[in-house]
Amino acid sequence: MIEAMGAATVEQLGKIGRFGRFVWQTMLVSARSCLVPGTYPLIWTQMNIIGVRSVPVIMITGAFVGMTLAVQTYDQLASFGIEERLGVLINVSVVKELGPVLAAVMLAGRVGGALTAELGTMNVTEQIDAVKSMGTDPVQYLVVPRVLSCLLLTPLIIIYADLMGVLGGYFVSVILKGVNSQPYWSFSASGVELWDVSIGVIKGFFFGTAIAVISCYKGFTCKEGAHGVGQACTEAFVAGFISILALNLALAMVFKGIYYMLWPLKSLI
Amino acid sequence: MKKNTEKNAANAADGVVVIKNLTKKFGNNIVLDDVSLVIEKGKTTVVIGPSGCGKTVLIKHLIVLLRPSSGEVYFKKRRIDNLSEYELNRIRTHYGFLFQSGALFDSLSVAENIMFPIRQHYKITKRSGVEELVKIKLMMVGLDGFQHYYPANLSGGQRKRVALARAIALNPEVVLYDEPTTGLDPIRADVINELILKLQRGLGLTSVVVTHDMTSAYKIADRIIMLHDGKIIADGNPEHIRNHPNPVVQQFINGRLSEEDLAVLRRSGVDLQTRLTPRDSEQ
Ligand SMILES: Nc1ncnc2c1ncn2[C@@H]1O[C@H](COP(=O)(O)OP(=O)(O)O)[C@@H](O)[C@H]1O
Ligand SMILES: [Mg+2]
Repeated sequence: MIEAMGAATVEQLGKIGRFGRFVWQTMLVSARSCLVPGTYPLIWTQMNIIGVRSVPVIMITGAFVGMTLAVQTYDQLASFGIEERLGVLINVSVVKELGPVLAAVMLAGRVGGALTAELGTMNVTEQIDAVKSMGTDPVQYLVVPRVLSCLLLTPLIIIYADLMGVLGGYFVSVILKGVNSQPYWSFSASGVELWDVSIGVIKGFFFGTAIAVISCYKGFTCKEGAHGVGQACTEAFVAGFISILALNLALAMVFKGIYYMLWPLKSLI
Repeated sequence: MKKNTEKNAANAADGVVVIKNLTKKFGNNIVLDDVSLVIEKGKTTVVIGPSGCGKTVLIKHLIVLLRPSSGEVYFKKRRIDNLSEYELNRIRTHYGFLFQSGALFDSLSVAENIMFPIRQHYKITKRSGVEELVKIKLMMVGLDGFQHYYPANLSGGQRKRVALARAIALNPEVVLYDEPTTGLDPIRADVINELILKLQRGLGLTSVVVTHDMTSAYKIADRIIMLHDGKIIADGNPEHIRNHPNPVVQQFINGRLSEEDLAVLRRSGVDLQTRLTPRDSEQ
């Protein structure tokens, strides 16, 4: 029993070690590749594949988040007669938390799944070995363009989700529930700071990198056969989803710290 | 047999690729067990053995796509099994590898597949130059005109030939072939055999061919090695193998089961069929 537990621990540590090495290698090669002009067309192709096709689904996600928030909070605020402040509530939640996290989860499913399936299939059909056999680093040719394009795209996509979330909230609050438009926006404008929006967008860099690195790793280490590829996709999504939530918490704590450092008095006012 | 391994150790110096005391384990599964082999320059070495005996594992070690559990691999007297991937990439450009499945990039066209290694290692200024090169490589495998096809639209034999054109795109010194004729009809298989011979004789390439197709082995080999249970059990020219005293070798090259296996097979599983009732007789 103890032996089995020991073996399991060693195996887990081995897995973490391999993943760590993969991440480290990806970072090194990414840094090096930024100087090589040949990488840019690859990144551009991936951005088109990953980004453009994700936009509609992300916009729908954002809009529904904004609308649902408005429906849920309207009654509570209206009972105090302060429904004009609805905008602050909705928009801060959207740009700081819900927009980025839900957009990232959507991407983890849509993009992460596709990346794992693509690289996993390449792995089991020996195409990754083929890249190596021709003297090319598969991390440089396959992983780096995908990671860099996710890193660049996720923040952009989050901006789309934010925009649609804000519009969705406006649609329900002002158009359906009849809140006055002018105070709705002015409260929003005073309540939502550039800082809040930036946090959401900066989170995107981290989420995007995490999704791409995890998915590529799962593809590279996927087991033989159709079953192996399917399993790798599931694992990639679960791992991506959890790491988004964990990163979100970690970043929230870091940004709170920075916020108090930059504006120590603001919280007292 | 013993004498052969000693001879190999003695002339290890002339080998292009040399493996010494190579052992490879996957978990507890010992696939290769203390194998030593010298691949001679300009010759075609054929490795035969039943499916699953570790031929692919062996050939992947020659280019260090797999790393040994223990033992050493040398390319032109330089030890390569302990190099970093980054250093290995330089070495690997001296090799061509034809994968068992072809392993063409299915998102790239035939021309782009062949251009891939060239793009990776040379600055391409005038595109026309490369296109000419792709054309020449495709002509060598008899597929000029297929530049814009995608792998999905090619037959198995055509895919293998495109994969071969890609493998020789960088003018390698050593070409490794993993079951080049498996899954092809005899005529297509012979096309591949002729190509292998043409490359070896015309360009003086060193070839290592893994196969279980004896027709092909006899046709192309300067030397045949048989792998069984992780060890080399026979090693010599085709004539030597044809007359090899070991019954395991004889069974393999003649494609016959041993009498005991045959007896087991004949006894089993026959009466079971007769006990099954067809579904539609249920009503
Ligand atoms: N990546 C791997 N992980 C675990 N086992 C492997 C791996 N590759 C090959 N093997 C095992 O090695 C043995 C030989 O495989 P292989 O070299 O592909 O046989 P073949 O002679 O048909 O090419 C098989 O038993 C296979 O299960
Ligand atoms: Mg094989």
